[in-house]
Order: sequence, then structure tokens, then C-alpha cells
Amino acid sequence: MRALLRVEATRLRWRRAVVLLLVAAVALPALILASVAWSTRPVSEAEQDQILSQRYAAKEVRRCERDPENFLYPAPVSTDAAQVEQACRAQILQWYGGRATLRLEAETREGSLLGVVAVVGLLMLLMGTTFVGHDWNSGSMSNQLLFEPRRARVWAAKAAVVTLVGALVAGTVLAAYWTGLWGLAASRDLATGGGVVGDGFELVARGALLAAAGALGGYALTMLFRSTVATIGVLFAVSVVGGTLIGLLGSAGGSTERWQPQLNVLAFVTNELRYYDESDLPEECFTGRGGSGEECNGERVLTATDGGLYLGALLLGAGALSLGSYRRRDVP
Amino acid sequence: MSTTNGLAVDTGHDLVIETTALRKEFRTRKGQTRVAVQGLDLAVPAGGVHGFLGPNGSGKTTTIRMLLGLARATSGTMRLFGRPVPDELPAVVGRVGAVVESPKFSPNLTGRQNLLLLSRSIGAPDTRVDEAVETVGLTGRDGDRFRSYSLGMKQRLAIAATLLKDPALLILDEPTNGLDPAGIREIRDTIRDLGERGVTVLLSSHILAEVQQVCTSATIIGNGRLLASGTVADLLAGGAAYRVDVAAPDAARRLLEAAGHPTSPGPDERSFLVETEEPAEVTRLLGEAGIWLEGLSAQRQDLESYFLELTAADTLGQTGQTSMGGAA
Repeated sequence: MRALLRVEATRLRWRRAVVLLLVAAVALPALILASVAWSTRPVSEAEQDQILSQRYAAKEVRRCERDPENFLYPAPVSTDAAQVEQACRAQILQWYGGRATLRLEAETREGSLLGVVAVVGLLMLLMGTTFVGHDWNSGSMSNQLLFEPRRARVWAAKAAVVTLVGALVAGTVLAAYWTGLWGLAASRDLATGGGVVGDGFELVARGALLAAAGALGGYALTMLFRSTVATIGVLFAVSVVGGTLIGLLGSAGGSTERWQPQLNVLAFVTNELRYYDESDLPEECFTGRGGSGEECNGERVLTATDGGLYLGALLLGAGALSLGSYRRRDVP
Repeated sequence: MSTTNGLAVDTGHDLVIETTALRKEFRTRKGQTRVAVQGLDLAVPAGGVHGFLGPNGSGKTTTIRMLLGLARATSGTMRLFGRPVPDELPAVVGRVGAVVESPKFSPNLTGRQNLLLLSRSIGAPDTRVDEAVETVGLTGRDGDRFRSYSLGMKQRLAIAATLLKDPALLILDEPTNGLDPAGIREIRDTIRDLGERGVTVLLSSHILAEVQQVCTSATIIGNGRLLASGTVADLLAGGAAYRVDVAAPDAARRLLEAAGHPTSPGPDERSFLVETEEPAEVTRLLGEAGIWLEGLSAQRQDLESYFLELTAADTLGQTGQTSMGGAA
């Protein structure tokens, strides 16, 4: 088995499309990091003076100083005029300066880190797909089986290599990205405390797991469909039609929102997801006849465990189908 | 000798390949069942080059793919080196080299990289690749991408891949396809050489002259069924005709027909052809009747005419299975 693992690792390394995808998995996050760094760069003093010298901005600063509670959030604790003025200038600068300040916490929950997880996860899925799709496309799969006819071992060796490489690359890239953001925030004297860095690394770990699962899933589906194009087509169709279909099932009775794939992915990566689903609330909640309180609260919570179990079950199902099919079907 | 399903099988030799009542059905897209191989009994003894003949679509490649575990048999049994396959294929696959249909490698990798992946998967040293490349005459081109190879070079690479295992059984499916005349000759010499060195070669081909030149024994199939099997010499002798030259051909023909030896007109008025396995019997019968032979010569048929005769009869549904000699 060790020889087989080494061979599959070499095969992966020698495959040009895979190398290109891995390069993209490094380059795209690097570009995103550079873009975040540029778009959140501090406004220079000259720029600040230029913005605040505009009539509308100066007027807004004065209004803010007169009524800080309506302009600043959270409301200023101090009533010191100088401090209020500084806070107002910062707020108006943020509004009219056209540039957001880098906030690590925002980058994890709804910011670029999630985007990078999505990009890297998608690239790892494509890596798993194209790695083995090439074997089927070129017909070299049959050649490989002439040397190692134990199909379960071949399947497992390829799966292990794809998963490990997916996890390693995604883990490294995501960790580097988060470290980069952290370093950027620290270099700008922005807040990096309060456990936000640890939360980010936790998200990185979950993102790497998701990317590895994506690589394995892409591989398993391609071993099932025996074509990269077919796999991508099926995934595309599922992503377009699947959500609608689940929604339609929900309209037939009972809520199916919980089974939407994207919600489960988000729940798994972000540790917990709160969403609203009012489809199974009692009718009274909508007619205004007595319905109120907790039973009319449409907020639902999906935990990372919920999401993980959902994704794990999908992966297990795809893997079992893929292995079973590979072991039984004739190889062209 | 024993008989299996109408086929005489010599069990005195070690059989390298043995199939019994092998059957393969495919389901078409329309839900119909197509039978590719039906009840095939194949026996290939150890040593020598065994031809595996049949028209396109006769089930040769399907049979080979089943033997190698690439396709599942619908029913029947198969053995390689006496071990049931596909159950015990992993135990014998290290002794089997095979080229099935067209050479299949990763087009973006070099020939050498393709061979390295295969040799490393069986734990063979990388030097084995050098030896195989040299044997098939690809030295100097093994660093080129597979996609840039000519068809002949691809065939050579496929044969090189089979040599990585140092096989005791070589299964070659149309190995000279796409080769130039010099390449064909080289491959044939290599096959013959391997056969003489004790490697059993199963050569699937529809080039009959090739089989006649290279093979010691052959099996002919049609429509997934066994049509004939035996040594090439016996196959050619079977059904052979003799030319008889006599002064009174009409009387001689009547006499031989009455004795159960079919005759047909000869190339001239003083000769005719007689189908018999025993030419001595012809001389005795004619001599006893006072018809003196002026000449008796074997009319050798080649494998092509024999093959066409068999497969044409099979198409018309007239064949039984035929076995000649003791080779298979």
C-alpha cells in the first residue's frame, strides 16, 4: 500500500492541471490578501485634510459634534469635546473617505476569510476531480489495474493522496492568509485581541477540513461518473436545482430549510449559523390572533456538528457509491 | 485427452490460461442484452506463442479483458496459472504482462514517466524501465511526451510496460497495429524470441499471416464461440485436400466417393481433388481397383482460407467446435 501511495502522490505531482490548480490555490488568496490590504489601507493625513476640507464633510463633522449619539456607534462615553471631535472626524472620514478599516472579527464571520475558504475549497474539489478524471479520459486506469488489480486498494490510495494534499494545501494557504491578515492588523495598530485570532485559526482548521472533504468528494464523484465534465455538470445541476428542489419539498409540508447544503457548509465552517425559517410557525403568528412570543420566533440555529454530520453523510454516501461502482463495473 | 463442451483438451500440459463455459453479456442502452462471449472454453498451454483469432467483434478483446480483471464475466470460470481469476488475480498478476487494445497512457507525461509510475506500483527498480525501453528500441525518445509519439512508438511503449514485470505470460492484443514494416518485423521477432525463452504469449490478432508466421498454436473464435483450436500445423492440415493425377479420373472419383472421401474437379482433365485425412488409404483403394496413381500431392491451405471458411460457416450457423492436435 505504501508503494501505491507513493505512486499516486507522484502521479498527482506530475499532473499539470493539478499543479495549475494548486498554484491558483496559492495565488488567488495572495491576490485577495493584497486587495484587502490595499482597500483598507489607512487614509493619509493629506487625504484626511482633503476630505474634511470639503464643505459637506465639514458640515457633517459639526453636526456630529452637536449630536454625537446620532452619529457614533457605540455612543461616546466621554463628553470631552476634543475626544468627541476626534471620534466624529474618524466617523465622517470612514463615511466619506471611501475606505473601510480592517476589522479581523468581520473578516472571519462575513469577510474575506470565508471567501478564501470558498475559493480554496472549490479549487481542491476541482483538483480531486481533474486528478482522476484524467485517468479515465486517457484510459490509463485500465493500465494501472493491470499492475494492481485490487481495486479497493487503488481507490483508497488515490483517495488518501487527494484528501491529504487537499488538507495540507488548504490548511497551509488558509493559515497563511489568516496570519497575513493578523500581521496586517497588528502593523496598523488595530485590535487583534479578544480571542479573534484564535477564532480565525479555528475557522481556518474547519475550512481546511472542508476543502479536504471537497477534494475527496470531487474525486469520489469522478470515480463514479468516470468523467470530470460529468462530475462538474452534476455538481452544477445540484447547486442550481438542488436548493430549489429542497425548497419545493418544504412547501409540500414541513420545513426543509435545514437541509439546504449551503447553510450546512456555513454552519460547519463558522461553527454556528443562525437563520430565519418561518415556514413551520403556527398560523396564529401571521394572523395576529394571539400568536406571539417564543413559538413565533423563526430564528433557527445550525451548529457545526449539525453541518458536519450533514456533510459527512453526503460524503460517506458518495464514497460508498463510488467505491462500490469502481469495484463492480467494467473498466474501459 | 479429455473433452470439455465438445472441445478436446490436452490436460497433459500445464495450462497457463483456461476458461470454461465463459460467458459475457452486455446490456445495451435500449435495455437489450448482447452476448459478447458465449460458453467459451479456452485452453492455452505453457510455452510458445498461441494465436487468438477471430473477426472484429468476435469476443477476443472481451475475453482478454475478463481474464485480466477489467471486465466481469457473466458466468463461467477462468484460471491463470491454475489460479481462479478474478478472485486470485492479485497472486498471479505479477507474472502477466498485457497490452489490451490501443496503448493507454497519460498523454502529458513522458514515456519514461508513464513507465516509472507502473514499475513503482509493483515495487520494481527504476533500472527495469531502462531495460524495457532499450528492449523495445525507445531509447532516446523515452523523455518525450506520450502524446507526441507515433502509433508505432505508442505500441512499443505498451510492450515495454508489459516487460516491466518480467512476465511468464504475455497477452498482446493486436500488438503490431500502426507499426511500420520494420517495426512489425521487430515486434514479431521479439514475440518469437519471448516464446522461445519460455514465455507463453497469447497473441490476439486478425492478421492471419502474422499468426501463421509467429504462432505455434491457435484458437479461432467467432460470435463469442470457439470455432477451432490446435497447433497451427494441425489446423492447416485439418480439412486439407490432395490432388490426385490419374489416367481415369472419373472412375477414380466414383471409387473414392463410394469409400467416403469427397472429391471435386481438379485443375485439369487428368486430375481431381480429394478431401481426406489419410492419403495412404487413397493409394490403397485406387491400387486395388487397378487405377495407377501418376501423382498425389497435398494441397496446403493457408490459415486465411481456413479462417474464412470457418467464420463464414459460423455466420451461416453451420459450425460445430473443432479441435486439432494436442496443443490446446
